[in-house]
Amino acid sequence: MVFSSLVFLFAFLPLILFLYFITPMRWRNLTLLIGSLFFYAWGEPSYIVLMLFSIVIDYTHGLLVERYSGDRKKAKLVVTSSVVINLALLIFFKYSKFIITSFNKLFSANLTIPTIALPIGISFYTFQTMSYTIDVFKKVAPAQRNIINLGTYVTMFPQLIAGPIVRYQTIARQLNHRKETQDRLAEGILRFTIGLGKKVLLANNIGLLWNKILSTDASNFTVVMSWLGLIAFGFQIYFDFSGYSDMAIGLGKVFGFDFLENFNYPYLSKSITEFWRHWHISLGIWFRDYVYIPLGGNRKGRLRTYLNLFIVWFLTGLWHGASWNFILWGLYFGMIISLEKAFLLSWLNKLPFFIRHIYTLILIIISWGLFAFDSLIDLKAYFKVMFGLEEIALCNQTTLYYFTSNGILLIILVLASTPVMKVIHQKLSLWKCYLVIEVFMTPLICLIILILSTAYLVDSSYNPFLYFRF
Amino acid sequence: MNHIRNKALIGIFVVFIFGLSIANMIDKDREISEIENRRLQQLPTFSIDSFLSGSYAQKFEEYLTDQFVMKMRWVGLKSDVERLLQRSENNGIYFAKDGYLLEVFNQEGRYFKKNLESLNVFFEKMPDLSMTTILVPTAVKLYEYKLPLFAPTFDQLKMLEVAKNELEMDFIDVFPLLNEHKEEYIYYKTDHHWTTLGAYYVYQQLMEHWEMNPYLDYEVQEVATDFYGTSYFKANNYHLEPDKMFIYTPHDDVQFTVTWEDQTDSLQGLYNMDYLNQKDKYSMFINGNHALTIVKSSIANGKKLMIFKDSYAHCLTPFLAMNFEEIHLIDLRYFNLNPYDYIREHQFDQVLFLYSLSMFSTDSTMLKLKSFQ
Repeated sequence: MVFSSLVFLFAFLPLILFLYFITPMRWRNLTLLIGSLFFYAWGEPSYIVLMLFSIVIDYTHGLLVERYSGDRKKAKLVVTSSVVINLALLIFFKYSKFIITSFNKLFSANLTIPTIALPIGISFYTFQTMSYTIDVFKKVAPAQRNIINLGTYVTMFPQLIAGPIVRYQTIARQLNHRKETQDRLAEGILRFTIGLGKKVLLANNIGLLWNKILSTDASNFTVVMSWLGLIAFGFQIYFDFSGYSDMAIGLGKVFGFDFLENFNYPYLSKSITEFWRHWHISLGIWFRDYVYIPLGGNRKGRLRTYLNLFIVWFLTGLWHGASWNFILWGLYFGMIISLEKAFLLSWLNKLPFFIRHIYTLILIIISWGLFAFDSLIDLKAYFKVMFGLEEIALCNQTTLYYFTSNGILLIILVLASTPVMKVIHQKLSLWKCYLVIEVFMTPLICLIILILSTAYLVDSSYNPFLYFRF
Repeated sequence: MNHIRNKALIGIFVVFIFGLSIANMIDKDREISEIENRRLQQLPTFSIDSFLSGSYAQKFEEYLTDQFVMKMRWVGLKSDVERLLQRSENNGIYFAKDGYLLEVFNQEGRYFKKNLESLNVFFEKMPDLSMTTILVPTAVKLYEYKLPLFAPTFDQLKMLEVAKNELEMDFIDVFPLLNEHKEEYIYYKTDHHWTTLGAYYVYQQLMEHWEMNPYLDYEVQEVATDFYGTSYFKANNYHLEPDKMFIYTPHDDVQFTVTWEDQTDSLQGLYNMDYLNQKDKYSMFINGNHALTIVKSSIANGKKLMIFKDSYAHCLTPFLAMNFEEIHLIDLRYFNLNPYDYIREHQFDQVLFLYSLSMFSTDSTMLKLKSFQ
């Protein structure tokens, strides 16, 4: 089930909200757990066993780690076991096809390529369960004695399918005691609605432009169009992902949990290093705390630092998808970040804002090219067009049409990528009369977003035929 | 202050979400959608099996979206927002000037060249028949100048030229004639068909080509003023004026009957007026789409015409019925018998292939002409 769907908004959500808030406090985790299991089973009935298995593994491992907290060697063994099991699951279900295909290509072998369906959310929940045992080991959080509470942490439907990756230490306390206040509820609702609008009204819409450009006849394609395409894709993926994170954070708040922010206006960044501190923040933190720092980070000499960066970015790319273009994408960023660390940042800091921003945006647009194409052949062809290496027109009527018919949307997207609305709101909040207006304005805007999102969702299922289908 | 705002936020959200959910439950389920021309998903029956396989979830989601309360209102709202964003198309239809909804035509169509080949195969197989092809360009080409800024459209004229050069049989290019009259009401604004007037002009051009006398003494009757066609229900701009429909009744006293392949029913006259009370008004002409339609007129001149067609031929047929005692119309999308055998069983004076250019270039059923002997 996805949040941006009619069945979630008008069947599941009212039901779970109703059940949750009529349940007495101490049974609320159980309600949330059952609801989340149902949410997961709705889209993925067979793999629910896998997730339950993951929970049991980490429950037992968590308790064991705490039991051996005196004996560091034993505790480390337990943690390793948990990590190995979780990674084995992830690798088997997500990467076996990729590994075997690549092995076949590399060694001209002919092993049978397995067809295993990818369980939804496995990249997220295995990372979360691993973070649990590691956090207990590092003594940043006590082991969870109540398996229902642990289950709630792992399966919580707000962040189950698409993050943010919530580390156990972030919500450990709130699992056991939390307060669902009216303020929290309202904040969560507002956040959720904004996320819904980002996904349905902005991301889906600009995604249509990207699809159109992709399916434009080769004879009609131009260089400018190729750049416009990746810009559209870049907006789509940002508003899709950050919108989804907003909905997750909003829903979390409604149920009394405070998740950490996952996006912070990344397209304002003035360097790639800065970009990755504002994009998919929870993933960056996870890799930093659980891979980069344990490997030594930057404290083991220059060469080792670059090796660590290489490993982290290789894995970051790989995490995004079982395909070579994702690894390239990760390494692309790793390389730029290493260069920035080495000397580029100090150069950039001497240049004006504007140039640094353009530098970053161009690198980001190019990175989306690496991200968008699974097939390296398609990737190469697209880049050739982008950099003028093909015999193709610079611009044409169709390209102009794409601009004019998406012009207003693009302007909205650019504005929404900046905190301009927030800043205006803050400045205006100094006026008393604005505060009075705002009392009505914000709920009204919320309602408008809900209405428009519903309209777009209903329309996307509208499917008329020319003649009657018997 | 914040208290009130928060209460309002919670209130609005709860009322919206719960309100619509309850409305959906109360609202009765519909079986078919006249507007979408299809059956709507009904509430699926629950079973452990269907849940585990995921098919229950899928069907339930379809059910919810198909039966969503006030669906057309939401769809219309989305169309309005698209236009607010200065988007000039929706669901494959351009919002053009003067209330014209023009169907997007952006590429040649996979079957264009293949279908030209099929027609040539037909020509080879029936060398003694007199045959002609007319491909009607669509409104988006005629009304290019009404299109929104920069909107691209494929050069249909080039396609017509290719057809003229590639086809062995006679090909009539109707574009110049239609172009001459484009300021008149020759295409519907909210439907993808041409109007009776447009068909009338081409009828005259066709008669000239066949060296026959066109019948020109008609009384023009307005039979509908509230016709919303196919494009209307794709574009969903509900602020547009409807189309008008006209029929041309000959002053001479002529009788017509229309039968179709199952032969159990027949139509007296050329028009089934019942359709005027439904959404699909265009099917009024010779009772709409059938695999085989036979139109007989009381003009006993013994002449027989065979038309391989799509629905564009329907409003052209009443004119042709003044010149042919029998007109047989075959729609290859639904006709599964051997068309060559059918032709051999009758003696046709003329064979006409009449298609809209968009259908002709995207439909695969004409390949039947190649596969049958």
